[in-house]
Amino acid sequence: MDKLAKRLRDDAARIEVDVSDELDRRIEASLHATTPESTAPARPLARPPLFWWASTITGVAAAIVVIAIVNWRVEEQPNTAAPVDLMASTPRIELNAEAAMLTAPLQEELDKLQSDLKKAEEKVRQDIGL
Amino acid sequence: MNDETKLIAAAKAGSVDAFTDLVGGYRTRLLRFLLTRCASFADAEDALQDTLINAFRYLHSYDPRWRFSTWLYRIAIRNAGRLRRHDVVDLTAELGDLRDEETDPLQQCIAYSESENLWVNARRLLNDEVYAAMWLRYTEDMSVADISKTLDRSVSWTKVNLMRGRRALENELGGTGNENEAYG
Repeated sequence: MDKLAKRLRDDAARIEVDVSDELDRRIEASLHATTPESTAPARPLARPPLFWWASTITGVAAAIVVIAIVNWRVEEQPNTAAPVDLMASTPRIELNAEAAMLTAPLQEELDKLQSDLKKAEEKVRQDIGL
Repeated sequence: MNDETKLIAAAKAGSVDAFTDLVGGYRTRLLRFLLTRCASFADAEDALQDTLINAFRYLHSYDPRWRFSTWLYRIAIRNAGRLRRHDVVDLTAELGDLRDEETDPLQQCIAYSESENLWVNARRLLNDEVYAAMWLRYTEDMSVADISKTLDRSVSWTKVNLMRGRRALENELGGTGNENEAYG
């Protein structure tokens, strides 16, 4: 044992401490009031092999039933959908609006623009002396 | 089957007497250790009481591959840590840091001597875990493996920090100790 280790051991022994009778009694009373847990915490139960087989078979059976039901419903649907003439069933709407009334303002505007264009063209011709 | 194994078996079955005999040799050593980690003597006593009660209650979880003392110290360190955190909150909230030489339970339990107790310096120089590692090594003669198990640290961490702890104390002493001590 080296010098430091010896010093540490000696110094630890110099810490004068003792468990008092009162503490002793307190500890003993607490121990009597304590019930040791007799077993380790319960582990999750291991599933027996039969359990896995049973769940596998149940799963496969359920999948087969679902597939069968879906296919059965598809076959059951009758293919009786006849083509419907939408044009015939749609009521005809009579449109009596007058086209002239709708286009008149635009025609007037076009005439004004053409008139302006002619005036501008004449003015340019005069300016250049043609 | 040795005596300790028999006592453990009887204590597991619920015998308080067997458990008292089992921990009889550890009580004073545990209290001395706890005294260096708690804020007051009363806290150290409470920590000892909690340690022994928890050890009795959870004795079924003791793994016989390890020394009984390793398991017991592990519980003690947890209890001391819990009390210490509680103390810190209380002191901060109410009184401030009053831990001086007059109130230090370790100082109160050290006999007057011309030389200062090295464990007082160790507590000042080392953090809690390194201090505990040094204590377990030099007062309990625990192996590095047992210390690492007790502190829930790796063997490498334990070796490195035992070496650092030694160096810190040797520097404090101003001497050149045996720096070549091998751990593990």
